[in-house]
Amino acid sequence: MARAAVLQIPGVNCEYETARALEAVGIEARIVRFNEPSSVLSEFDAYVLPGGFAFQDRIRAGAVAAKLPAVERIARESESGKPVVGICNGAQVLVETGIVPGIHPGRVELALAPNRAPRRPGYQCRWIHVRAHEGPGRATFSSTLSLEETVPLPLAHGEGRFTTADPEVRARIESEGLVVFRYVDAAGRPAARYPDDPNGAMLQAAGITNVAGNVLAFMPHPERAAWLRMMPQDWPGPWGERRRAAIGNIDALEGPGPGRFLFTSLAKRLGVTAPQGVAV
Amino acid sequence: MSAVLLTRLKITDLTALTALEAGQRMLPEGHTLERVVREELFLFEPEPGADPASFEENLHEAIETSNFFVNPNKERFRFLTSGERGDKWSPPEGAWGILARSRDDTRDEGLRARLLREHPLPGLAAVRRARAWWLWTRGPAGDSAREVFYERLGPLRGPAHGLLVNPHAEASLKLFGDVAWKDVERFLAEPALQPVAA
Repeated sequence: MARAAVLQIPGVNCEYETARALEAVGIEARIVRFNEPSSVLSEFDAYVLPGGFAFQDRIRAGAVAAKLPAVERIARESESGKPVVGICNGAQVLVETGIVPGIHPGRVELALAPNRAPRRPGYQCRWIHVRAHEGPGRATFSSTLSLEETVPLPLAHGEGRFTTADPEVRARIESEGLVVFRYVDAAGRPAARYPDDPNGAMLQAAGITNVAGNVLAFMPHPERAAWLRMMPQDWPGPWGERRRAAIGNIDALEGPGPGRFLFTSLAKRLGVTAPQGVAV
Repeated sequence: MSAVLLTRLKITDLTALTALEAGQRMLPEGHTLERVVREELFLFEPEPGADPASFEENLHEAIETSNFFVNPNKERFRFLTSGERGDKWSPPEGAWGILARSRDDTRDEGLRARLLREHPLPGLAAVRRARAWWLWTRGPAGDSAREVFYERLGPLRGPAHGLLVNPHAEASLKLFGDVAWKDVERFLAEPALQPVAA
């Protein structure tokens, strides 16, 4: 059975639901504390850095956690091709280590800067839409999602704007297809402005991978949309219709939600055969 | 000539303490990071041709009597009018520093608008913000070894180099000694900072 470590750093707050979403697709998940011997991490096939506020976002979101021996170990393990996902605060940690995008290994090439939206500065906590794109991360993180599908997902961040001060890095992120998830409007068109574009990220990036495609920094929270019951009842579009049709039907409500694709894609990449009764 | 407000916590600053602890783990042998202090800098910029004295008295009162900038239960402040501040900004005794600002516009329009709703401040054009990190350091030779510390704890370049500033979101200015206020003003007013060279 494939095993994934969910790294518990002081201040994160999504480790349990992330572990449950992994278990739901047949991946054995264990929450690993940041101060366990980092050698423990080598036993795992994949890693998830969950959302939250590691070290209370002191100095800068992700800045302190990026220096942890456990994170250094995960970065080393990723060099052998093991998948790593950073969700929200986890994405901020990965960006601060430099392994995303990893165009020039050993260099930090991005920041997740404070959100930028006209007259709406600060924290955003709401649902948005994303679409998957072709790129080196497709096989690991979105293989079970059609490129034509518009996926509603929740997000919750104050510092979610992917940006770089290096024009070469930006050009290569675009040309090498490292933006595997982009913000779109409800019809699937590129998010031109707020509120479809929640933070002003370059290239409307919601998720960026490393060059090899096995490490993903993803700002929305798929674990908060892994079951249909987690969808808002009044959400427009096909997922909202499914949610409304499931009212009173516990089996349907316990079915996969729009965020499940990330976990099923990861399970597929790890060769997981779904346990009986589990929808992968 | 801008008026200057500097604020810092007088209770324990857990962010500075975390920077101290994280920074200590990133240093070469024989180097000691002794203390870190975080200070917020506000520059109050007058409109072109305006006399800053026209708003500085009211501004001082606004700082003392409102909680826009300072909660006196947990923070202390120094307010320096354009006439009082002098030509140079000096680091605290024994320290050197790094001044960090957003790569975006440093003007805090929301803060200015809220301030003006309650206080008449004729001639105030902008409130600009930045953050100073003050460091007390000691190298193996007993000096501050600030170049070594700056390289390890200053702008982020790689996992083992840099902590306090991410240059993809922020720009920084070395405060290795007295710095002319006009250079600080220029640093904060620069509208679009040059991209980092590849």
